[in-house]
Amino acid sequence: MAKHEGYDAVIVGSGAGGGMAAWVLASKGLQVLMLEAGRDYNPYEETPMFSAPRDAPLRGTGTADKPFGYYDASVDGGWQVPGEPYTSAPGSDFMWWRSRMLGGRTNHWARNSFRMGPYDFKPRTRDGLGVNWPIKYDDIAPYYDKTEAIVGVYGRNDGLENHPDSSPGVLHKPPAPRVGELLIQAGCHDLGIPCVPARRAVLTRPIGDRSACFYATSCGRGCSIGAAFQSTTSLLPMALATGNLTIVTNAMVYEVSLDDNGNADRVNYVDKITGIHEAVSGRTIILAASAGETARILLNSKSRYFPDGAGNSSGQVGRNLMDTVGAGMSAQFPMLENRPSYNEDGARGLHLYIPFWLYKEQARGELDFPRGYHYELGASGRSEPGMGIGGIANFAGSYGKTLKEDMRRYYGSFLSFTCRGEMIPNANSYCEIDPDTKDRWGIPTLRFHYKWSEHELKMVEHFQETTREMIDRLGGIMRSGDKSPEDAISKGGQIIHEVGTARMGNDPDSSVTNQYGQCWDISNLFIADGSVFSTKSHKNPTLTIMALAWRNSDYLAEQLKSKAL
Amino acid sequence: MVAANTACSSNAKFLGEEIPPVNAAGGNLLGVAGKPDSVGYGADPDLMNPVVPWSRTMTHPQLKTTSALCDFILPEDDRSPAASAVGVPDFIDEWISAPYERQQNDRAKILAGLEWLERESRNRFGHGFASADDPQATELIDSIASRDPAATEQSDLVKFFNRFRYLAVGAYYTTEEGIEDIGYIGNVPIAGDYPGPSDEAMTHLSGVLEKLNLTMPD
Repeated sequence: MAKHEGYDAVIVGSGAGGGMAAWVLASKGLQVLMLEAGRDYNPYEETPMFSAPRDAPLRGTGTADKPFGYYDASVDGGWQVPGEPYTSAPGSDFMWWRSRMLGGRTNHWARNSFRMGPYDFKPRTRDGLGVNWPIKYDDIAPYYDKTEAIVGVYGRNDGLENHPDSSPGVLHKPPAPRVGELLIQAGCHDLGIPCVPARRAVLTRPIGDRSACFYATSCGRGCSIGAAFQSTTSLLPMALATGNLTIVTNAMVYEVSLDDNGNADRVNYVDKITGIHEAVSGRTIILAASAGETARILLNSKSRYFPDGAGNSSGQVGRNLMDTVGAGMSAQFPMLENRPSYNEDGARGLHLYIPFWLYKEQARGELDFPRGYHYELGASGRSEPGMGIGGIANFAGSYGKTLKEDMRRYYGSFLSFTCRGEMIPNANSYCEIDPDTKDRWGIPTLRFHYKWSEHELKMVEHFQETTREMIDRLGGIMRSGDKSPEDAISKGGQIIHEVGTARMGNDPDSSVTNQYGQCWDISNLFIADGSVFSTKSHKNPTLTIMALAWRNSDYLAEQLKSKAL
Repeated sequence: MVAANTACSSNAKFLGEEIPPVNAAGGNLLGVAGKPDSVGYGADPDLMNPVVPWSRTMTHPQLKTTSALCDFILPEDDRSPAASAVGVPDFIDEWISAPYERQQNDRAKILAGLEWLERESRNRFGHGFASADDPQATELIDSIASRDPAATEQSDLVKFFNRFRYLAVGAYYTTEEGIEDIGYIGNVPIAGDYPGPSDEAMTHLSGVLEKLNLTMPD
């Protein structure tokens, strides 16, 4: 039986896209119902600010129950969720991270917030690969500004090619670089590589009730002072304050059903507490359940109109699955041994990073890979000790009093370099419904297919060569060994940036939605998460998910107002 | 390149040896550890009030040998106490008793390694490892402490020692005493802007950049 009637919008998911859509629509006076598959979560009461690793089981180290450690702000989260299986096709090994809590993955993400640039929206124009987006950078630029202003992003405008500046006054002042970052920056300058302030969704000046960062305790635990952005300390409280948002948690959505006219009519879900199947209806329905879960809901929504799943007349739902190209290298720097101690926590994340810098060389055909990657720098060498510090002992190879001296000597002498690159969509990477597997509620589950192409492997090789040169210039000693690009590249889904499974486009035959996330097939069904990405870019997707969700929501609200919907 | 380790002898005759299974004929000198619990803390534990829900399983003699090895690896010196004084042996018991795959893999490795250590000590010196003096313990450990921990081919004994050392060091430098010794400063709120490196740290960095013929960034 349908309940909760009379909503202008029913939103599935409460993370970056769902949170933004809820706030934008609720602030316009629309009545919004949000369904979240996980439990309610209160970061003001549940965040273990300052708690020491020694107070947690196993010193807080990651386990099958908590892959990112005991204190990580993930509830029933990880690449495996009890009772919610998924499978990989033979030859594929995809990892699908879920987080079953209000706010979803925004509670623990790294907060890296890089804008996609003009090239990133029209990549096919540059290199003939993949597709172009139906929008250009200028269409989304005002939404980036608005999103950054409300989310709170630190960074600096450096006027770099394809790394757009924000409007004046938007960005918060970036934190001062630390020793390791200054060392790498000096090396980069010598090698002609840019190294500039990173952009992270962390406040360095207060916004409303949210305090500025006080440079302590890991952002991955969540942030009870609201400095590190998460949906649950900003977008959702703001939306609730309008009085126009109702949230239902533990609502595991499995289907969108259509009325006799082929319009999206109801959202069907299992109440995870009672096990009872419920349905809600709204004038519009917005899926923001994550790239994997949104595709799963669409594919499971079979009807006489859409036997292959709602909105899937193009056959593109589940296709074009992309994750970030990941790889990492690390080195020890003898010149950093026994260096003076100071508080090197900083904002517990990137202060500086290396944006992609070879666009001109690429345009001239001097690189053997298309698209770009950036470096995230692991440069807070004197960070809070956890179990990983045992690695220094095995590096030293000593024991006894010699080991204790070695620990003092080597602590803070390691730096790491992480590749975050763009994958190009390929026909071998997609998800579909597994005909043989269901979850604990009887909902058919996803089966993933995933394969990197030569483009990504060549990119990793370039990263490896450049990093070796950089480490060598800085007098470092490689620690991560010589791996082939095939061995060095991350697994699909491991970087947790999966996007593309219901891409937007200009052509209903080759895309699932128009430029506003509106399904071509079902005009009152919208998508507001990473599913709609036409391409991936190397920039971390969350900021763009939010900017697009805002743009989609503006359009949706206008359509409702003009009675077009 | 691995740092010079003057404490290591060249006695490597045990490097290729396999550890006999714990339940091999001849019995267990340190007794048989309890059966580990099968349930962990789950995917939604109380982060504000952490508890270790599983029982520790080491026998008293296993714990005693663990303690002796912890203190051999991390002895008291003029800056910080011995590992056993800050609960490291109990932590290793907590670790190998945990119901997770990685910890269960370590459990097999570590219990077998402790048993080997005990048997070898009795064979060589006529008493258990916990009673070994420093030269005796050094002789034993030098036979299993690899000079090259990055070597891809490692015997079970080398793997045991490397893993045990990794765990003991991780446990030690996460205690208050260990953190103070190693000089971590942080996890305290700062009002206003993050100040960046101290003057002393910047002076040191300037020296590094000079040696590398690099310019300090603006």
